[in-house]
Amino acid sequence: MSQVKSGEIKTMSQSKLDRRQFLKGLGLGGAGVALAGCDLPSYVTLEQGEENVISYLAPDEYVIPGVGVWYASTCLGCAGGCSIHGRVREGRVLKLEGNPDSSVNMGRLCQMGQATLQSHFNPDRIANPLVRKNGSLVEASWDDALSLINEKANSGKAAWATGAISGHQRVVVETHLSAIGGSNHYAIEQINANVWQTACGDIIGDPNPEIHLDKAKVIFSLGADFLATFISPVHFAAHYGEFRSVPRGTLIQAEPAMSLTGGNADHWVGIKPGTETSLALGVANALMNKHGISGSGISNATKSLINEHDPATAASICDVPADRIEKIAASLAANSPSIVLAGGTATANANGYSAAAAALMLNQILGNIGVTITSGRELAYPQLGLIEGNSANLKDLAVDANKGKIDVLFVSGTNPLFLAPKSIKMDEGWNKIGFKVVLSSMLDETASAADVVLPLASSLEDWGSHIPAYSTGTRNLALQQPLMEPVFSNTRGFGDVVLGLAKQAGAPGLDEYDDYYGYLRSAISVLKKTDSEKEWNSFLMAGQTPVPSLGRKLSYIDGKISQTANTATDGGLTLIASARMGMWDGRGANLPWLQESPDQISKVVWDSWAELHPKTAKSLGIKDGDYVTIKSSNGEITTRAFIYKGIHPGAIAVPIGRGHSALGRYAKNNGVNPLFILDGGVDAKTGEIATAATRVEVKNAGKNKPLAKLMEIDRQHGRKLVATISADKQRITEGGT
Amino acid sequence: MVKDSSTKRSIPWIRLSMLMVFVGAIIVIAAQVLDQKLHYVGEDVVPGPIVPGTQYPDEKFTGIDVPQPINFSHKIHAGDNEINCMFCHTYARRSKVSGIPPLSKCMGCHTVIATDKPEIQKLTAMWEKGESPKWNKVHDLPDFVHFTHQRHLKRFLFDNEELDVSDAKRVCSMCHGDIAEMTVAKKSRPLTMGFCIRCHEANEGPSDCTKCHK
Repeated sequence: MSQVKSGEIKTMSQSKLDRRQFLKGLGLGGAGVALAGCDLPSYVTLEQGEENVISYLAPDEYVIPGVGVWYASTCLGCAGGCSIHGRVREGRVLKLEGNPDSSVNMGRLCQMGQATLQSHFNPDRIANPLVRKNGSLVEASWDDALSLINEKANSGKAAWATGAISGHQRVVVETHLSAIGGSNHYAIEQINANVWQTACGDIIGDPNPEIHLDKAKVIFSLGADFLATFISPVHFAAHYGEFRSVPRGTLIQAEPAMSLTGGNADHWVGIKPGTETSLALGVANALMNKHGISGSGISNATKSLINEHDPATAASICDVPADRIEKIAASLAANSPSIVLAGGTATANANGYSAAAAALMLNQILGNIGVTITSGRELAYPQLGLIEGNSANLKDLAVDANKGKIDVLFVSGTNPLFLAPKSIKMDEGWNKIGFKVVLSSMLDETASAADVVLPLASSLEDWGSHIPAYSTGTRNLALQQPLMEPVFSNTRGFGDVVLGLAKQAGAPGLDEYDDYYGYLRSAISVLKKTDSEKEWNSFLMAGQTPVPSLGRKLSYIDGKISQTANTATDGGLTLIASARMGMWDGRGANLPWLQESPDQISKVVWDSWAELHPKTAKSLGIKDGDYVTIKSSNGEITTRAFIYKGIHPGAIAVPIGRGHSALGRYAKNNGVNPLFILDGGVDAKTGEIATAATRVEVKNAGKNKPLAKLMEIDRQHGRKLVATISADKQRITEGGT
Repeated sequence: MVKDSSTKRSIPWIRLSMLMVFVGAIIVIAAQVLDQKLHYVGEDVVPGPIVPGTQYPDEKFTGIDVPQPINFSHKIHAGDNEINCMFCHTYARRSKVSGIPPLSKCMGCHTVIATDKPEIQKLTAMWEKGESPKWNKVHDLPDFVHFTHQRHLKRFLFDNEELDVSDAKRVCSMCHGDIAEMTVAKKSRPLTMGFCIRCHEANEGPSDCTKCHK
């Protein structure tokens, strides 16, 4: 029967049978099967003696086959550091959930956290150490790989490149670095809030203030995609839920290309890329001149900038109608407290720092500082603190490598060869580094180009301690513990490998530790001033433990807003390499669950796309699904167009994360990487790579193939699939008139 | 003008495919009948209320012989020595699976009992090496079926006032047949969806799809 059916389907795909006929045939066939279905002959459905079942030797008392046990650990999907519970059954971890006791994620977990399982069970993980011989990577033993490292690691200026790193992993990395005589540690994260955090540190004296979305009545966000990519999205999403409960807060999002947060906004403002400062100044102008907001603490220089930006002038700069600017001001004036954030695309251009400074200025004049933005707490042990990582470090790495300042490089938790724009010449710099060691569980672009690759355990097989990127109240040390035995037996934990390297390099005081577990346990018992077994076990059960922290105080220092306008007028479009929860900076591309989850905005799966405004598309002669070539001064990429209105007509947005040339079967040769063609421009103050500022020419490449996406059409054609009310009525429900 | 016949949408092979589907359905039904002919032999009706207060399933099936790494005899344990099924399959009342007993449980007795038998010596050698035998699964349901032993034991054994817990094997045999008479276990009930449904109907078990297909 099954053979007959598959043959039938094969014929159908080659024929012009229409859907109706196909369904008719299927229905008739199905009816026949259904008649007999419940009692199909046993040899069709039920196996006997085909599978093995292996009993335990001597299980622990609490082990019951078929019943899961939940263990606490920490998610390493991003720097957010959410606490997780992993369900373990018959020795395998099967499901992850958020830990309800965590002050970071409060029981929630995002799709990237859920998909961590697939990075753990990934079939393309590296199983054995690899060493480059005659130009290609070949399998080697740990002893050979480590002795090769021992031989070469002291042969010159050494450096480490990691992603965001904190806790005791940071300590061992720095111990190893100083043992091999290096000093440079490049912490690289393409998706970060560095500009906002730097501005907060400079202006209000706290780089990581607490952001109380739940207390605000209005959120005015300049590009900060706090539901998907901003600092600790799961935390903010939880508070956003409270913000939206009765009385319902209003969310206004201004950004050139719609993000997940923008898609949820009441008022989405499609702003010209790079002009967010002007919008903020225009809003400040309307607040001061029309709503009698005094502007205490604002310097005269800033006041004169504000005076220059009356709504009409601001409108002409940032391409947002003047009445819209006035409405935003009216909403902020009428609903206190509010909160103004800046991040994402608003800070990913040369004026990014200025936009963040302008957002903080708005918070100051609206009286939000100390109300919805309050001081955070600082870890009493700065050596364990989180190094957030940023893309300025990516550029520094490329520059230093090209200058010959690096002879030996250790890399883990980041993929610089995928993240770096071609314009910063990372590839050339990489080749100038004499000896490169990559610690990774996947053979990504960087690992493929290394001299030695050490296979790491997955995050669900490893020990670690982490400081979450953001949490309110007391600071916690989050514990990561193995949830199961290694899937690939010849892999080793990150801490174990680095501790071994540090010992091998002669770092003092490490000989007493056999492994990283021993080191971690001893270090934490010092930290907690107890080494009792009971305390340790309760720490493991909770997955986190409070650590001493110091309060900070907020102040306000004005005068950081400098630039205002984006002057680019050459007729091309601005490329926005947009960040998404899911693919993230490319680390999600090897996980089929994430590839398969429709994009939050375009609903596209398994491929890249380029978002274009219908007006722009029409003037360029581009239809939905047309292949378009996007050309910058640093190269070109070709992908398919997705036409929709959630983008400024002067912009084209391509999400980052796809376009890998390595990283396993699911990631490789799938989509394009817009980071490659960025022009290398940076934010003037922080040096962050400007991902929303490259000028590009867009051309129709002359082919069309519909994008694979859910929700093929965005109209209901009168079917009332979703109930709607008019915008005016909706405003009444929000307390408007 | 008369339409040319070639412009009509003619799909000759739709008939062919319909025919194939029809033939397929015939094959399925025929195979099933044949299957019953082959396996539903002899005592179609099990006499008497084997589990009191219960409509007892009366369908039989003759499974294939599944060789096991150790020639374990249910007859010696559950039959001759009348060991309760749940003594070894201790997880049945707590979990969806009844579980193969851990090797430590076997060794609990067999460090002293029947140590001269070759099969026990095989077992002891495995225990000493720290290896579990790779048993072959006799009763295997598809992955999309969520059957739970725990719920069935509760309904038919622990909540059944007319049946003593020491008589657990009567409940087990509803789906597993008279294991106590078998040497190496063999499938003796069809365990098809029809089998499940008929028993659920007779004993007023749940009939919504998602109870078993989650």
